[in-house]
Amino acid sequence: MTALAPVALGAVSHLTAGRGQMGTSLSFHLFFAVLGVGLPLMMLIAEGMHLRTGDPVWRALARRWSKVFAILFAVGAASGTIISFELGLLWPRFMAFAGGIIGLPFSLEGAAFFLEAVFVGIYLYGWDRLSPRLHWLSGFPIALASAASAFFIVTANAWMNVPRGFQFVHGRVSHVNVLAAMFNPAWATETAHMVLGAYLATTFGVAAVYAVGMLRGRRDAYHRKAITVALSVAAIIAPLQLGVGDLLGRTVAQHQPATLAAIEGVTHTESGAGLNLGGIELPGHATTILNVKVPNLLSLLAYDKPNAAVRGLDTFPKADRTPLAWATRLAFIGMVGIGTGLVLLGLWYWLRRRRNGPGPEDRLTLMALAGAGPAAFLANELGWLVSEFGRQPWVVYGVFRTSNAITTASGLGATFTGFTLLYIGLSAVTFWGVRRVSTGTPELPSNAIVSVA
Amino acid sequence: MSLPALIAIGLGFALTAYAVLAGADFGAGILDLISGHSPEQRSALARTIGPLWEANHVWLIFSITILFSAFPTGFAALGTVLLAPFTLAVMAIVVRGAAFGLRTEAAGRQARSAKLLGWAFGAGSIAAPLLFGASAAALAQVSSSAHGATTVSSLPWTGLFAAIVGLLAVSLCAHLAATFVTYRLKDTGQTALAHRFRRRGLQTGTAVLALSLLALLTAAWKAPALWHRLSTAALPLLVTGVLATILSLYALARRRYLLARGAAMLTAGAIIWGWLIAQSPRLIGTRLTIHTAAATHPALTAIAIAGAAVLITVLPAFYLLYILFAHPSPEITQ
Repeated sequence: MTALAPVALGAVSHLTAGRGQMGTSLSFHLFFAVLGVGLPLMMLIAEGMHLRTGDPVWRALARRWSKVFAILFAVGAASGTIISFELGLLWPRFMAFAGGIIGLPFSLEGAAFFLEAVFVGIYLYGWDRLSPRLHWLSGFPIALASAASAFFIVTANAWMNVPRGFQFVHGRVSHVNVLAAMFNPAWATETAHMVLGAYLATTFGVAAVYAVGMLRGRRDAYHRKAITVALSVAAIIAPLQLGVGDLLGRTVAQHQPATLAAIEGVTHTESGAGLNLGGIELPGHATTILNVKVPNLLSLLAYDKPNAAVRGLDTFPKADRTPLAWATRLAFIGMVGIGTGLVLLGLWYWLRRRRNGPGPEDRLTLMALAGAGPAAFLANELGWLVSEFGRQPWVVYGVFRTSNAITTASGLGATFTGFTLLYIGLSAVTFWGVRRVSTGTPELPSNAIVSVA
Repeated sequence: MSLPALIAIGLGFALTAYAVLAGADFGAGILDLISGHSPEQRSALARTIGPLWEANHVWLIFSITILFSAFPTGFAALGTVLLAPFTLAVMAIVVRGAAFGLRTEAAGRQARSAKLLGWAFGAGSIAAPLLFGASAAALAQVSSSAHGATTVSSLPWTGLFAAIVGLLAVSLCAHLAATFVTYRLKDTGQTALAHRFRRRGLQTGTAVLALSLLALLTAAWKAPALWHRLSTAALPLLVTGVLATILSLYALARRRYLLARGAAMLTAGAIIWGWLIAQSPRLIGTRLTIHTAAATHPALTAIAIAGAAVLITVLPAFYLLYILFAHPSPEITQ
């Protein structure tokens, strides 16, 4: 985490500057990538509802979201370009090793991104050139291709966690099987967790924006419809995400024992290990704080046996354990905590909603929704940190160390500073732009606002 | 033909598509900057590239992924040596893309923010081709020599030759954009506007011609090894490039706008392939070639198949996009 603080730049090492730059770039891009996957789905639903019902509120929502999407896509495509370059600029030795093994999903992602960009052009500029139905259909390739992009990229991340499909002897890569590399044991759970996470964050993000609008007194059909459609999608996604998260935990338990120990805060090997709720390891101390332990639950969740042994972090050589165990644990607790909170909030909303009537609109519910949006995005960022921090000191688990991957070129302190400033500026102008296109209820025929859905 | 050579040709194709198509998008930013904030010119430029530029940009990402999947050690060496210019170029791409997207969607009638964003769009649009052109020139310079350095520790990307090629890339982008916009405007009845872009096309075309001749002279003087490669293996492309530029100027003068657009694209293609031929089969220095830097055979096979599949799916979609937006939009009804 210290790598993300640009204050002590003079003091940070070459490797830390490189990791800091990659980390800032990815956490910035993740925000846009998540909305890039999620918003097209929301646009499609709103536009589809307009086609079905003819209600102009739906069309207004779809157009508004497509304007926001246009800005986010422009910035997200650009920040994605930075990352494709940074792979070679910051980690040339990693790419020299891995490029020929996991190049396939990257090339396929190129195809998905191509299709997405083509149809983004058609969709955004085609409102008046295509028939309403054809325009709606032109949004489908965007939603599918953006989910496919996320899928391909995350298979590469899954490969870094559970590397397969090659042999690495005396520094030389041989026996490459690109399909075995791409469809490594973690591909299914990791990609599903990411794509669902993107949908979940987008839906709660949308609900949060309109909850804020309602708190400011804009209680109209436009805002109600937006919250309803967002939380409807969330109601389907949230339970799925809990299940997939559990499956991903088992994948980690099976293939990344050192990571599991760091995630779950297991310091010493235990049979019939309990699940730690809380339990944060203080750096430099052997004890944990704020822990509540549920007996045997971890063994049961990870290995389906209440008495299975869970390997402790101290059984791994010091050089092979993550130096960021505390941060991994903290990020994991944060992610699971937020995820659980989102499920509970969704339940609360739908249980209190009257049949065919409006949902709860008291201040407390709206404020909870307003907070849930940013929290859902934070959960995605934290989940990615669990994957990255938990895998350290490896860039490819058990095979290639992060310290061996960094570039030999100098000047990373300068590029890190430059990119950090660039991201701060980009965040500010993007926020400005999105606010400008998304504040307030658009002008609609007066009867549309009055008719409460 | 060997598999690495086949993939290298595919990569050259993708880079050419990027230069020709995204080059015009950069050019639109450059023309936007020198339009003196004329709203008609800005809107004509924005309408021409608006629906297309995101898709054009993907050719760069696609090229990068092919490069690092098929030639991983070459990509590693390029990334190490070109850290500074590539970092600056990618920053420029980000700034211009974000600025253009924001200006289109959010600036509206806010004159001050539109002006600032327009400036960022233009500055980024100049910087990116300048840096890419300079990097390519420096690469060709160190890779063309018969007994040059086997490993390269730094590139002369700030040298005279690199600077001239960088400027050539900038003026070529502006020329591409000017011919695209002029052709698009010709049937709209906006004769005065079309006229202004025609004049820009003539100016930038002249700059392309002058700078390419200057670049060749500098190569002959400063980089004899490169000059040797250019005047032998790449000679047909060199001649094509110069003739195409002259043709483009002639066509603009005679108001044959489609011909001018085609000739400008041919110029860009000839310059890219002239560079690639002068380089080939080397990626950087004399040791790393497309053969020594290639990934393992199974990986190359997979990349070749995936690359072909990508093109088969993407090219029809591209065609659809270009057909749909080939003509200026009907008056917006809403």
